[in-house]
Amino acid sequence: MENILEIKNLSLSFYTPSGEIEALRNINLQLGKGEILGIVGESGCGKTVLSKTVLRLLPKNAKIKNGEILLNGKDIVPYSESKMRGLRGSVMSMVFQDPMTTLNPTIPIGKQITESILKHSNIKYNEAKKQAIEMLDMVGIDSPEKRFAMQPHFFSGGMRQRCVLAIALASKPEILFADEPTTALDVTVQAKILDILLKIRDETRISIVFITHDFGVVARIADRIAVMYAGKIVEVGKTEEIFYDPRHPYTWGLLSSLPYFAKKGEPLKCIPGMPPVMMNLPKGDVFATRNKYALDIDYEKEPPIFDITDTHKAATWLLDKRAPKIKPPKFFGGECHE
Amino acid sequence: MKNRTLIKDIIIRLLGFVLAMFVLSVVVFYFARLAPGDPLQSFYGDATESMTSAELHAARVRLGLDAPIYIQYIKWFGNALGGDFGLSLKYKMPAMKVVSPLIGNTLILGSTAYVLVFALATGLAIACAANEDSLFDRAVCKIGTAAYYIPAFWLGVVLVLIFSINLKVLPSSGAYDIGKSGDVLNRIRHMILPLIVMILSHLWYYAYMIRNKLLDEIRKDYVLLAKSKGLNKREIIFHHCLRNVAPTIISIMAISIPHVLSGTYIAESVFNYPGLGSLSVESAKYHDYNLLMILVLITGFLVIFSSIIAKTINEIIDPRMKDSEVSAWQR
Repeated sequence: MENILEIKNLSLSFYTPSGEIEALRNINLQLGKGEILGIVGESGCGKTVLSKTVLRLLPKNAKIKNGEILLNGKDIVPYSESKMRGLRGSVMSMVFQDPMTTLNPTIPIGKQITESILKHSNIKYNEAKKQAIEMLDMVGIDSPEKRFAMQPHFFSGGMRQRCVLAIALASKPEILFADEPTTALDVTVQAKILDILLKIRDETRISIVFITHDFGVVARIADRIAVMYAGKIVEVGKTEEIFYDPRHPYTWGLLSSLPYFAKKGEPLKCIPGMPPVMMNLPKGDVFATRNKYALDIDYEKEPPIFDITDTHKAATWLLDKRAPKIKPPKFFGGECHE
Repeated sequence: MKNRTLIKDIIIRLLGFVLAMFVLSVVVFYFARLAPGDPLQSFYGDATESMTSAELHAARVRLGLDAPIYIQYIKWFGNALGGDFGLSLKYKMPAMKVVSPLIGNTLILGSTAYVLVFALATGLAIACAANEDSLFDRAVCKIGTAAYYIPAFWLGVVLVLIFSINLKVLPSSGAYDIGKSGDVLNRIRHMILPLIVMILSHLWYYAYMIRNKLLDEIRKDYVLLAKSKGLNKREIIFHHCLRNVAPTIISIMAISIPHVLSGTYIAESVFNYPGLGSLSVESAKYHDYNLLMILVLITGFLVIFSSIIAKTINEIIDPRMKDSEVSAWQR
């Protein structure tokens, strides 16, 4: 598959008065055309920062330390702000978590959509209006002509998220970053939004980076999954590989903490401890202190990324030839090798 | 249905307006008369000292000052409804006639200052908010804080010293030179110094307020969405943020009318500019009750009416304000 977005060795830090926060550490990631990539991890692990880095929506104190972001083969890291502005909306756009706050409360929905269309093309207002109404129709808003002129406060949360989606997709971008677009919605609305995203992907071949902390959501929508921990991608692979053959202890922890796997009468499982503060990170594997499978070397040296298959990679010393063989927990009755 | 509630709203607001004016007139009428001092002194001047108490009493009866205050009020109120606001004790002619030639002067000065203050404040606020934490932004905020505490009357005197006495480029007092009341340029020259005083003493406060409000707005999530659409700073500020801050600016503008008006009054008295401000100070000083009443009513009218207009405009801009008007107790 042809890669539309390729991130190479990307590291980014926030420089704050109390020190450097290493938000992204050596990220390598590819996104194919028409692919939906799920990024999963706990709060604060850098999922949102990663997508905002690509769109360059971060505050001034965030600096890319090294690495490349190749968009259609061209590195956009050195791009000027005005050049980035040309990409935002037209080539890549973003949907945010809370639909109650991401729409401008005083501007009618329709205008918020046409604004994006008019910005990136030379068409007349009436044509843009027609396209905007089509967009609203596509994301499943009833009687879009009537809703076109309404302000966001007439809409429910789910409808607002559809409107945000319509805004993000208005200029037909090639990549959509969806930052927990369903987290603030109730479950039935969540399912509808996911269906819309899938439908749009099938119709337009758009690539979607879907950020979430919900494995259930990601199982439903993603082609591939990247698991992030403390600013690093610890495991990446096809959705089946991550679910049926997870290799990183952190992925095990996340999967076993799904309420789906809980047995009646037993307390829900969780990963002990807290995600680290991303300042002055300890030596070795950052996850080691929370990892009951941690080896001595985890406290000394960061694990490299091991290839399991062509598509499946994980960063844990357990995959080293010299590591003791342990029996990983089982999920979905799947066969775990070794 | 919608029209009916609109008409109902307008009627309710007008009733509230009338009530407010009524209460204002009662309070000022009462308190002015309770203040120590004798209005006869301003009417007869030094002659009061040689008058007998019988003569004084007769004068009081003639001027209607002997009756209890509420009787006086009822009488004044009846006349005022008919458009007769009584005699000015100091000028010895109808109060309306004293005031009417000066209203224009004050309105020109006040409204020019008002428009300039808010146009400049909004411009400055946008420039600061767009370049938050830049040298420019910090300089404006610091200078503004310092300038806000410079007393207007002191600044006025300093400006007169510099521009009128030393440089001799601008007149120090009056609204126009004698015989040149129709000369626009001459009037403008007389307004420059009072305007500078008023702008310098009001601008910063409002600019700072609008700037902070804009910065709050710029931190909101929808700005990030607007940015991810590919809009630039100018489009985000003018098409998105300013629109949402507009109700605040309009509210501030409405609330500030008395503030700017009082600034006009101070500037008028510093620069001897013939207007309502200097007249108000005089009328209070000389117990010129009827003149005071009409001035208070004019000022009150401007203040109350402007707040009603501001509220109405805000509801048109942001319809949510109307929806949230129902308090929790009524639900």
